[in-house]
Amino acid sequence: MNPASLPKSPPPEPKDVHVLPGPTDGSAFTGAAMGQGNITEIHDTNPLDVTLPYHMQPRVEKATHDAQLQQFVNSATLSKDRARKRICLEAFGDNYNRMRELGGRIKQHTLDHLDYYLEQFVTNAAAAGAKVHFAETTDEANGICLDIARKCGAKLCVKSKSMVTEEMHLLPKLESIGVETVETDLGEFILQLDKDAPSHIVQPMIHKDRAATARAFTRELHVEYTEDPGKLCQIARNLLRNKYRQADMGICGGNFLIADTGTVVICTNEGNGRLCTSAPRVLVAFVGIEKLVPSLEHLGVLLKLLARSATGQPLTVYNHFMTGPRRPDEHDGPEEMHIILVDNGRVKTLKEETREMLRCIRCGACLNTCPVYRKIGGHAYGSVYSGPIGAILTPMLKGLGNYPDLPHASSLCGACYEACPVKINIPKFLIQLRRDQIKQKITRWPDRLIYRVWAATLRNSLTYRLGGWMQKWMFRLQARGNGSLGRAGSDPYASRGWLSDAPGPVKSWTRERDMPTPPARSFRQWWDEHEKDKKSKEA
Amino acid sequence: MKGHLGADPAEFIARVRAALGRSRTEPAPPPPAVDETIARLARPSDDLVALFEKRATLVGMKVRRIKSADLTREVLAVLESVSARRVVVGVGSLPQALGLKESIRRKGIEVVDWQAAPGLDTQYDTDAGITDVHAALAETGTMICNSDAGHSRGLSLIPPVHIPLVRASDILPDMLDYWARIKGKRGRELPSSMAFITGPSKTADIEGVLITGVHGPGAVHVMLVEDA
Ligand code: SF4
Repeated sequence: MNPASLPKSPPPEPKDVHVLPGPTDGSAFTGAAMGQGNITEIHDTNPLDVTLPYHMQPRVEKATHDAQLQQFVNSATLSKDRARKRICLEAFGDNYNRMRELGGRIKQHTLDHLDYYLEQFVTNAAAAGAKVHFAETTDEANGICLDIARKCGAKLCVKSKSMVTEEMHLLPKLESIGVETVETDLGEFILQLDKDAPSHIVQPMIHKDRAATARAFTRELHVEYTEDPGKLCQIARNLLRNKYRQADMGICGGNFLIADTGTVVICTNEGNGRLCTSAPRVLVAFVGIEKLVPSLEHLGVLLKLLARSATGQPLTVYNHFMTGPRRPDEHDGPEEMHIILVDNGRVKTLKEETREMLRCIRCGACLNTCPVYRKIGGHAYGSVYSGPIGAILTPMLKGLGNYPDLPHASSLCGACYEACPVKINIPKFLIQLRRDQIKQKITRWPDRLIYRVWAATLRNSLTYRLGGWMQKWMFRLQARGNGSLGRAGSDPYASRGWLSDAPGPVKSWTRERDMPTPPARSFRQWWDEHEKDKKSKEA
Repeated sequence: MKGHLGADPAEFIARVRAALGRSRTEPAPPPPAVDETIARLARPSDDLVALFEKRATLVGMKVRRIKSADLTREVLAVLESVSARRVVVGVGSLPQALGLKESIRRKGIEVVDWQAAPGLDTQYDTDAGITDVHAALAETGTMICNSDAGHSRGLSLIPPVHIPLVRASDILPDMLDYWARIKGKRGRELPSSMAFITGPSKTADIEGVLITGVHGPGAVHVMLVEDA
C-alpha cells in the first residue's frame, strides 16, 4: 500500500457502542453455512503453518512496507502500553516493582515444584469430578479431544480463545471427523472466517480493520455490507448465540490452574468463555502445564497484575473459576469436564537454564511495548507466540534450529523486561539463545567468523582503535559513493554522509536502514582531549 | 488414575520430575507469602460502599444506591426503561423476602421459570436477569456470582441486561478477603462455577472500538442496597 494514500488523521478514538439484542434462533441468517463463500480474501493455509526452518525476512520485508499494518499495530499497542503504565502506577504506586517481583516469585516457585503441584492438581480436580488427561505432543492432545468428541457424538463445538489449541491446529482435525467448530471470541471468529491466524496474544486481529471484517461477513455470512463495528458485533452475537444453544461440546483454554482446589480459571472480556464452558454438555479445557499456581490466594496476585498489564483494566470482565462438572442439584453447566494438560515442549523448557520463560501469563505487555513487534507485527514471528516472549519461547518449544532468526528479532532495549508482570528477563534469554546458536553451530560460518573477528578486535585497545578508524573511512567512502555526503536541507548528518547501501555481508542490514557515518572525531579522541584540557586547566 | 486418555499420568509426571532434577516428588516448601503491604489494594477502614460504587462505575456499570424499601420500585423502573417483557430471577434471600417476582408479574412482565427444565434454553429469549451476589469487591467494583441449585450460570450472562442486587454487607474490601473467606475449600466444596464479574460484556477487537454486550449483558444495573 502506498503510504501517500493513507488518511492523515489519526484513527478514530474508541467510543462506546451498545449492541442491541436480536433474534437468537438464527433467523437473521439466510445464507449458506460458514466457510463456503467465494474465496477472495481468505488464506489458503494458516499463516502460522510455516515451513521449517522458518526465516523471517520475507514477512518482515512485507510488513515494513505495509504502512496500514504499521498504523494498526502501532496505535493499538501504544494505547495499551500507556494504559498499562497508568493503571499499574495508580494501583500499586511505589510497589509496582515489588508486585511484579512477587508475581514472578509465585510462578517460579510453582515451576520449581511442578511435579508436586501437578499431582496435587490431579487429585483435587478428580475429587471434583473432572477427568484429567496428559498429552506429550500436539498429536496426542488432538487425539484425546477427538476421542472425547467421538464418544459423546459431538456435532457442533463452540470454542473460546486458547493459545494452546492454536499450537496444535485442533479445529481442522475436529472438522475432519464431522464436527462443526466455531470460534466464539469475536476476533478469533473473524479470523476463522478468513482462515487467518492471530497475530497478538491478547488482541488476535490487531492486523485487520473494520473493512476487512465487513468483507468477511458479507462473503461468508451473506449479510448486508456494513463497516459499523456495533452492527458487525450484533451480527456475530446473534449468530453465535444460536451456536451456543445447539453446541454439544465446548472447548476452552486455561489462564490458570489452582493446585489446591483443582480449579481451571479462564479470563475473558466478552463472556464467550463463560458461555462455551456453561452451555454445552461436554467441556474440554486445554491447558499448558506451566499454568499452575499453588492456591487461590496466589492466583489473586497474578489476577491483579494480568488485566492491568494486558489492557489497562483493573480486572478482566469475567474471571470464570471452574471446579468440576455441574453438581447433581444444578440446572445447567457441563455434565462432563475434561482437562487436557499439554507438554508440547514445556517439559524440555523446564530445565533450570530456561525455566523462567514458563512464568509467562500471556498478558501481551511485552508485545505492546516492543519497538520491533510494532514494526513487523505478529505473523512475522511465524508462530503462535509473537513479540519478545515469542522470540524466546518459540525456539524453546519448537527447536532453535527451526527458528534461527527469532533470537535476533530484538534490539535488546529491555522494555519487555520492564513491562513483564512476572519479571521474565527476556533480554538475558535472547542473548543466551544467540550464544547457544553459535555453540550448536546453527549460525552460518561467515557470521560466526564476523563475531570472532569482532570479539578479537574488542579485546585489545590497539586493534579496537584500528578497527574503528578503518570502519570510519570505509563508511565515508561508501557515503561519498551514494552522494549523501554534503546532502542539503534539514539533514543534520549531511557533513558526514549516510551509509545506505553497504556492500557484502552488511548489504541486507542496510537494505531497510540508513546509518550516519561515524563523526570525524571519535569519542576516545574527544575524551583524551577533554582530559588533557582539564589537566591543563587544573595546572 | 483410571479413565484417562493419552499419556500415562505417572510417566508424564516422572518426566517433569526428571527435568527438575529430582528422582521422587517431595512436598513443596511453603510458597512465597502474599505480602499484604504490596498486594492489598483496599482496606476494611475504607468507605466500602463509596469505593465499590466508584470502581463499578469506572468499569461501565450503572450503580444505584438505594434503601431496601425502594428496591422493588427501582428494579421495576429499570425493567421498564429497557422495555423488558420476560425476565429471569435467581433464588436468594433478598428477592424472596421482598416478593420481587410477584411485583414484577403484577406489572405484566413474565417471570420465566428457568428451573422448569434443565439447561440454559429457557433463558435465551429473556430481556433481563436478576440475581443476588455471593460477595462483592470494593477494590475493583467486582461481583461474585456462584452457581448452585438456585443460581443458574446463565442468569448473569445470557439476558442482555443484568440486575445484580448487592447488599452493603456483601461488600468485601479486597480480593484477599474473599480468599480468606473460602480458604481450605477444595474440589466439590467449591461451586462448579464461580464468576467474578467486573463490568458489562466488552470487546475492542474491531479497531480498538469499545463495544459492550458482545456475548454477555451489554448493561449491568447494580442495585446497591445500603441498609441490608
Ligand atoms: S513475557 Fe511477561 S510481559 Fe510478555 S506476555 Fe508473558 S507475562 Fe506478559
